[in-house]
Amino acid sequence: MELERITVALRPRTAREAVDLGAAMLRAHARTVWSAWFAFSLPVAALCIALGWLLHWPWLATLLIWWLLPLFDRVPLYVLSRAVFERAPRWRETLRGQRQWRWGGTIASITWRRIDSHRALRLPMELLEGLAGKQRGERWRVLRRPIGTEASSLAFGCLELVLVIFLGLFLSVVLFIPAELMPDWVRGSVGGVARRTPEVTGALIAGVAYLAWSAIEPLHVAAGFALYLNRRTQLEAWDVDLAFRRLRDRWLAAGRAAAVLLLALVCACPHGAWAQKVAAPKKEEAPVTRIEDAFAVPASNSDKRFATAAAEAFRDPRFGGAHKDHTWVPRNWSWNPKPVQLGRSPFEGFGNVLAIGVKGLLTLLLIGLIVAIGVYVIRRARMPVIAAHTRGDAKLDTHLETIEVQEVLPDDLAGATHRLWSGGHRREALALLYRGCVEQVAAALQLPVEQDATEADCLRSARRLGDTQRRQRAEAIVRAWQYAAYADRYPRDEDFARLLDGWPARHGSAA
Amino acid sequence: MLDTLRQIETPEGVFLRLRAAGALPRAQAWTIDFVLRMLVFWAGMIPLSLLGRAGAGVGALLMFVLMWAYAVVCEVWFGGQTLGKRAMGLRVVSADGAPVTLVPSVLRNLLRVVDILPGVYAVGLASTLIDPYGRRLGDVIAGTLVIHGGELPAGSQVPSVAPVAPPPGLAADEQAVIVEFAERCAQLTPQRQQELADLLQPLTGCTGEAGVQRLLGYANWLLGRA
Repeated sequence: MELERITVALRPRTAREAVDLGAAMLRAHARTVWSAWFAFSLPVAALCIALGWLLHWPWLATLLIWWLLPLFDRVPLYVLSRAVFERAPRWRETLRGQRQWRWGGTIASITWRRIDSHRALRLPMELLEGLAGKQRGERWRVLRRPIGTEASSLAFGCLELVLVIFLGLFLSVVLFIPAELMPDWVRGSVGGVARRTPEVTGALIAGVAYLAWSAIEPLHVAAGFALYLNRRTQLEAWDVDLAFRRLRDRWLAAGRAAAVLLLALVCACPHGAWAQKVAAPKKEEAPVTRIEDAFAVPASNSDKRFATAAAEAFRDPRFGGAHKDHTWVPRNWSWNPKPVQLGRSPFEGFGNVLAIGVKGLLTLLLIGLIVAIGVYVIRRARMPVIAAHTRGDAKLDTHLETIEVQEVLPDDLAGATHRLWSGGHRREALALLYRGCVEQVAAALQLPVEQDATEADCLRSARRLGDTQRRQRAEAIVRAWQYAAYADRYPRDEDFARLLDGWPARHGSAA
Repeated sequence: MLDTLRQIETPEGVFLRLRAAGALPRAQAWTIDFVLRMLVFWAGMIPLSLLGRAGAGVGALLMFVLMWAYAVVCEVWFGGQTLGKRAMGLRVVSADGAPVTLVPSVLRNLLRVVDILPGVYAVGLASTLIDPYGRRLGDVIAGTLVIHGGELPAGSQVPSVAPVAPPPGLAADEQAVIVEFAERCAQLTPQRQQELADLLQPLTGCTGEAGVQRLLGYANWLLGRA
């Protein structure tokens, strides 16, 4: 297996995410998938429609195309399974490749297993792994157990999407063609149209249905394939495998580099050329493998020992094995429920009273709403002058305010701060106080004032102060400054006064 | 590498990974919602039908609320999840991963009028199939995203083994993958565990079961177990 070449990000996913990964894969390879799809299925579909027309069975074409969908499914899977590990094949290669691919599963799918909601999940297992007989049954049980429901809901989801596209195509034609342009007989009932030209109607329905299936069936296959990839990633930890390989390569390369360095040191100059020869990385030929090897479960029926080991592994409770299921079954079920007789309603009078009440309530609500809107609009019309004014002010506050920084702190810091505060320059006051605090803390710890110290640094050094009271005050000042600087929140006057409490009268003297 | 993730880098340099949800789970969630709403409407109409035309009027109001208010109320006040989305493990968030707010939610639900064209959500379906993050037109315009909000399949507890210090020089993601191996060990067969451990033979210096045990020891050490 060559996981290194995988082009899909492997990580643990829920099954539903895996379905979306399928959609992403399809989106990435849309052109190749759909060109191969149409090259393969369009002639077949045309043949089906022609057959229905010639045999005068209008329903035949749609049925045939639906019946042959598992046959068409091979094409998107072929493209995507190769695109995951190498480049996506062109449509010619895809068509040529179909001949060599296994047919057993496909034949089963278009005969006795046509109505199988797990088809999308079963397809990659059968086409890519190629196990046979009993082993395949075991393998299927292992793969399906936790995600069988997801595979079924995927099938029904796709059915829903097909219906959406099918109806959407018809309805958009009806929507965009003006009624005058339609012939009279079309404007009648759909049934009338169908009776008048059964062949055309049948062919038209088959054609549109084919388009809808063309849009959604590759998605169905891609999502099933992604479910399969996800389940194998889960069972075999492909993502861990990949990461381990990367780690090993890096480790070996690092080791080799260290060895070469050592060698170069030991051998010194005269042998430099030899060391270089060792250092040159060996270019390994990229091994050429078939895509089947990438997915294959290493199985060979001739190897008896392997077969028993595999059988044992399959019995492992982590993989499946025997387990109990509980289901609900209705006790007394009958297909013919007793008919219920409905009498005349006895609440008509009450209903009418309620109707009048609700009507009045709604009218009041409507009037209230209109009045509210009117009041809002009038207020809005009056407001702009004030609103613009305050908004402009706010902007000035946050963006244009600058703090004049004095190079040297004033001697009477407490007084200067107090003056600034009472003069309305609250931000400057706090900035000054903060700077004073920083210097004071640095002086107390006998450390130089660091130019690039942050508030957190200041707090950290404040915590080293021995005096509890001074420590608390320093912390309070830093916090007050942070609230002012970053959140525009200022302390009340009395709180500010408390910050200044006991501040030394002379700068530099002890508190 | 193909993936369905939408990565958002926060100013702190943290990568948020939003697991965008595509057409299929969303269609299924919508179907669940549709059936639930129809059930509520039907259950509501049984008593209302006894009230004659007044009942029909109240029924129309009920229909209106179910069609237009249900999704908005669920998305804004119940964590971005309608009942169907909750059942499918989906969640509506704004494109930067923040919870969806009122205006984007109203916008994305109003634009259902466009997505529903021509009556069966074909436009919305085409949009979800084409967009790399599976957004319908309403999502694109409202700047919202539907993501898988459920938990990822979790591994089990790392088995307790005497911790062994790994060789120095392992990068953070490499350490993480060793722990991941230990967490998922219980889901792998012993043969596969040994196969994986053998890959790291240059690192651990041993093969087979001893290699597995050594890796488990590393994981225990990395998890800080004494």
